[in-house]
Amino acid sequence: MLELKGLSRHFGGVKAVDGLDLSVREGEIVGLIGPNGSGKSTTVNVIAGLFPATSGEIRFQGEDLRSLATHKRLQLGIARTFQNIRLFGQLSVWQNLWVAQNAPVDHARRGFFARWLGGQSGVRAEIAGLLEFSGLAHKQDELAANLAFGEQRRLELARALAAKPKLLLLDEPAAGMNSEEVGQLRGRILKLRAQGITILLIEHVMELVMGVTDRIAVLNFGQKIAEGTPAEIQADPLVRKAYLGGA
Amino acid sequence: MDFYYGLAQTVGIHTLLGLSAYIVLLTGQVTMAQAAFFAIGAYAAGMLTVLAGWPIVPALGAGALLGAATAGAVGFPALRVKGLMLVVATLAFGEGVRLFFFNFDYQVAKGEIRVGPLGGEGFRQIRYFQENGWSTGEVMLFVWVFVILAMAVLWWFDRSRYGAVLRAVGEDELAAQSVGVNLTAVKVSAMAVGGAVAGVGGGLYAHYTTHIEHANFNVLLATFAIAYPIVGGLKNVFGTLVAVIFVQAILIEGLRFLGDWRNLLFGALIVAAMNLRPQGFLGGRRA
Amino acid sequence: MLDFFQAVSDGLLFGATYALIGIGFTLVFGVMHKLNLAYAAASIGAAYAGLLILQLGAGAPPWAVFLCAFLGGGVIGWLVYLTCFHFIPLSHQLAPLMSTVGMLLLIDEIIVHVTAGMPQNYPAMFDDVMLRAGGFTLRGDLLLVAGVSVLCMIGLLALLYRTRLGLATRAVSQQPVAAQLCGIRVARINALTFIITGLLGGIAGALIGASVGALSPLLTAPLTVKGLIVTVIGGLGSIPGAIVAGLLVGAFENVFQQFRGVTERDLYVMLLLFAFLVFRPGGLFAPKS
Repeated sequence: MLELKGLSRHFGGVKAVDGLDLSVREGEIVGLIGPNGSGKSTTVNVIAGLFPATSGEIRFQGEDLRSLATHKRLQLGIARTFQNIRLFGQLSVWQNLWVAQNAPVDHARRGFFARWLGGQSGVRAEIAGLLEFSGLAHKQDELAANLAFGEQRRLELARALAAKPKLLLLDEPAAGMNSEEVGQLRGRILKLRAQGITILLIEHVMELVMGVTDRIAVLNFGQKIAEGTPAEIQADPLVRKAYLGGA
Repeated sequence: MDFYYGLAQTVGIHTLLGLSAYIVLLTGQVTMAQAAFFAIGAYAAGMLTVLAGWPIVPALGAGALLGAATAGAVGFPALRVKGLMLVVATLAFGEGVRLFFFNFDYQVAKGEIRVGPLGGEGFRQIRYFQENGWSTGEVMLFVWVFVILAMAVLWWFDRSRYGAVLRAVGEDELAAQSVGVNLTAVKVSAMAVGGAVAGVGGGLYAHYTTHIEHANFNVLLATFAIAYPIVGGLKNVFGTLVAVIFVQAILIEGLRFLGDWRNLLFGALIVAAMNLRPQGFLGGRRA
Repeated sequence: MLDFFQAVSDGLLFGATYALIGIGFTLVFGVMHKLNLAYAAASIGAAYAGLLILQLGAGAPPWAVFLCAFLGGGVIGWLVYLTCFHFIPLSHQLAPLMSTVGMLLLIDEIIVHVTAGMPQNYPAMFDDVMLRAGGFTLRGDLLLVAGVSVLCMIGLLALLYRTRLGLATRAVSQQPVAAQLCGIRVARINALTFIITGLLGGIAGALIGASVGALSPLLTAPLTVKGLIVTVIGGLGSIPGAIVAGLLVGAFENVFQQFRGVTERDLYVMLLLFAFLVFRPGGLFAPKS
């Protein structure tokens, strides 16, 4: 579904991502791990369209993404969450989800007028579904800025889902979570896979990565140093040296 | 009674000016160009009724369309200008429009006299209301029909997804893009709507004062335009209305007894208002 | 042809004052990421304050007036900081901006009240000195204007780059939170920035008064617009940019005034701004922070 070929992103002299090859097949959950500064977030930002790639290819379902604007990539079916949460704090939970309903499926189903100038009634059911999934139904009218941290993380994920993505890029979704919350997140991610969504997961929290991914790619200094199943990665001496903590 | 009708007219027209800035401010674009679109609406509507004999409503409509078109055109280059630089760019645009009208001559003979805009002297004899026997009260009601219409439309926008998207863009453009919002469409459309509202306001202004000139549409007016929604708060359209009433009715008219000192108080009161309630009278988005 | 160079040189000399105003706008923006729209008005106000010293003794020499304007500028700068930036939480974007507009109106009105709207004569220095070279004339008073401006700019750059205060200021402009964590009192730096730009503005206002020969409250609006244009052309936050842009606008404006007259002159300055916005929206020098 997603193909990165020789992807590079340089910032002046710094090679944040250097010749990365990565494939994500439909229905997979692929993990991307590595020490800080290894280029994980940059990779996500390039896929999502925040930075242009310096060189290399990005193909999504065969289509070359490189000339597409960020919002167009969303409309193709790629959604992402942010590592440092970027919610619309002055809007309510409900409104945050409403604003994000930009999938082409929605465009086809409801006319321009209804989508933009219509009221809330047409989409109540759908948004209720998202709220249910994220456990935020009781807070739907609360300003996003007033939510607790864990709730904000859940809203961040729900908002990415509002656009009905085919590919979900999760940028360190478990950061700052306790064990119980990580477990709940794991459950949610597996439910999403069951719904047919492909997931690229960037994470430091090993408990989550090892427990939920089919395959893991390991980055170091912008380059892929290893790729394999969670078991293979845990056993790999190169990975242990670079990241997991000594032999 | 005429005095109060006149005051109500002024409040109404300034509310339209303020509302034109309100919708643009929601998207996070600080615009000093609203007075320019107001001016364009004023001259356009005036010329259509005086020189081409149009009735008032189509003339106002044309003023609105022209205002919207100009604002839309300005909206595109405005996308490239970030943050507070937009203040300067729109300020310069506004001054450019004012200078244009300072040099704009288009006179036509009507009977024995020549009518139409005449550069620095301005555009006199915009007498549609007088020539058609409108009373001051009727003009006031006419103005307020448009004010209420504008407020209703913007209120509707605010409660629709468009309104939420406008505010999302105003808060965090990057996040908005990442959830699929087309920034260009949203920002330019907001500018165009603002331009239309300003155009109507300008057209009404021209006919109510009967004489307009470039100096009416200066930096001070551009400042009033954004002052109203900021002082009133961006929560909803009523904030702007409250601010206009506060400034025009209370400050300018109500403090008339203070004579010259009135103007001194105006600046001081804005400073006080912003310190005491930075989010605006009715609150809302962090101003 | 000679006329052209004469216009350019006069314009450059006068443009030094625009550079000072531009520096004031850009420095506040660089440090606090906010626009102080009252700045040009405050500078003219400070120039008026300079005249106060003449009330004390009619025989006061011109440099005393300038000194008074300089100090007055610092005081007014601090007052603007207090009323617009000290109490309003900085997370608000528009409220401080609007407050500076209020101060702009207030300062303007105070000037009109105190002077009953009448223009006030301003002492000039060396206005009878003319240096001639070939067919070229360099006005003594304009040379002084440029000279003093250059001294101020050098002083400011020395302050920013050679002192601890300057270091702290640059730290705050780049990372206010981190600077605070390092023990820098951000509020104090912000206040000092306003005082320093105020001092600069006071000199600029006095120099403008001196080269024009008179002060009038009508100067504030065009000076505000021009100062902002200089800031944008130079690049918001860049001091070298403001300097170069100030000179550029000064020269440009004077040349067009010479050849196309006063009414069209301003239109050309706008076009210059728009050209920059289209082709180089970041300004001449991209901002440092």
